[in-house]
Amino acid sequence: MLNDFKIIFTNPEAFNYVVEGFTNTLLVTVIAALIGLAIGFVVAIVKISAGQFKFMKIPAIICDVYTTVIRGTPVALQLFIMVFSLFAIRGFKPYAVILTFGINSGAYISENIRAGISSTDSGQMEAGRALGLSWTKTMIKIIMPQAIKNIIPAIGNEMIALLKETAIVSMVGATVGTLTFDLNTASTTIYYAKNIGVSSYLSCAIVAGLLYLIVVYFMVWVVKLLERRMGRSERRH
Amino acid sequence: MKEDIKENGVLIGVKNLYKNFGKVKVLNGVSCDIKKGEKVVIIGPSGSGKSTFLRCMNLLEEPTYGEIWFRDRILTPVDPYLHFDVIKLSKTFKKLFDEAKVENPNLSDEQIEEQTIALIKEKDLLKKFEGKDFNNAVKSIYSENFMNINLTRQKIGMVFQHFNLFNNLTVLQNLTLAPVQLKLKTKEQAEKKAFELLKRIGLEEKANVYPSTLSGGQKQRIAIIRALAMEPDVMLFDEPTSALDPEMVGEVLELMKDLANDGMTMVVVTHEMGFAKEVASRVLFIDEGIIKEENSPKEFFSNPKDPRLKEFLSKVLQ
Repeated sequence: MLNDFKIIFTNPEAFNYVVEGFTNTLLVTVIAALIGLAIGFVVAIVKISAGQFKFMKIPAIICDVYTTVIRGTPVALQLFIMVFSLFAIRGFKPYAVILTFGINSGAYISENIRAGISSTDSGQMEAGRALGLSWTKTMIKIIMPQAIKNIIPAIGNEMIALLKETAIVSMVGATVGTLTFDLNTASTTIYYAKNIGVSSYLSCAIVAGLLYLIVVYFMVWVVKLLERRMGRSERRH
Repeated sequence: MKEDIKENGVLIGVKNLYKNFGKVKVLNGVSCDIKKGEKVVIIGPSGSGKSTFLRCMNLLEEPTYGEIWFRDRILTPVDPYLHFDVIKLSKTFKKLFDEAKVENPNLSDEQIEEQTIALIKEKDLLKKFEGKDFNNAVKSIYSENFMNINLTRQKIGMVFQHFNLFNNLTVLQNLTLAPVQLKLKTKEQAEKKAFELLKRIGLEEKANVYPSTLSGGQKQRIAIIRALAMEPDVMLFDEPTSALDPEMVGEVLELMKDLANDGMTMVVVTHEMGFAKEVASRVLFIDEGIIKEENSPKEFFSNPKDPRLKEFLSKVLQ
């Protein structure tokens, strides 16, 4: 076992694979998270504003269908459909993968944001409107900042889930053309293990697992930090 | 109505106001004029509709039926049935008018007009004949008399039972947000005004703290000066002391009396009878969604006429 770890971390070729898988995992997670946040934000705003503006009714219905379909089907299925049907274009697989995860997490994030907005005290909106501020302005200046503070833990959870979910990319194949795009640490290390004399897959899996743990731990720390930062207005001082 | 307001200095005119929440009828035809400089205190048992009535005045609640006027402009969507001009422009009116003229050649045009309008109202005919003319007429009446609600609210300050200070902003930001965002003042002017107001209530040192660190009384006083920072023409108070500890009620009422002495027009929903006696120029008793009694405070408390009010006062004042 120890010998296995030694090989993984000292054999430059093996280590290279670990690093590559690791960075690719992070890359997919970060880009997908950004796409997810953007989609989630827009969808949540559309849904919330449908109660206020009549012309938002139809977009809101479309958004409802989107969240229902995405949350109602497995991400693995979505990945297959995206990679092998909708975007079955040569060399497009990495982008299709990123897009899939972005669209998928967008649905969950939108619900988080929506819940955050509706959980703010209704008196806040009333106070803003009573001062003559428009709905939009009150939303931007008062409701959103409070909502964001409330949903940071939920968004953090979603990011962590997303990071780990990217591991199922191994289902649609790890490499694309000449570009090595081993998207997750687990599949990379295990895939490579055979060739360099690592005695068991378990040690590769443990290395991958540790890497995930480190990243997740870091993310939890960031979420806590943000929570404390945003919670300034709640604390007594 | 429009002329009334111009002549009598009426700031807020409420005409025949109805409000339903689903099947629950909260207001059943309330009419009331708030004149400039008046201090109107509204009392009534809980669930009587007094808060709803107040919240309808700045359209935080949308009335089911009836009109709210601010100065000479209407805030509520125009009810075609209350505007003869609109009815006259409808196709239904023209048709009925011509028919009536043939039938009664000896009546004057005005009489026929009146008859026709009454007929249309009675039989609810306009809805069937909603043509382009009619829609245009409603639109023109609307644009002529309608006032943007956001602009109106700038002139109607509101104080809530639960303060509703913006939790994510400091006290100073709470005070300056609206004037700056609505481009009524520059940031410097707004801050100067905010400090003046803070000085008035003796809370200057709280300018940079968040509302969560304040006591209830402090929060409510800041909520009041937040409304004042907009330099409103009239202030609405929705049970401003009901959520406060008993010992903090005094400081808030003190500030309100202060405002009253400055000549601010005020509409106050409250259970503080002492405040009503001392400050009010008129007291309204609302029960079951209608104004049951309306009188000067002296008459109101010493000589109540409505039996429900007698009962209410005997319970409250014992």
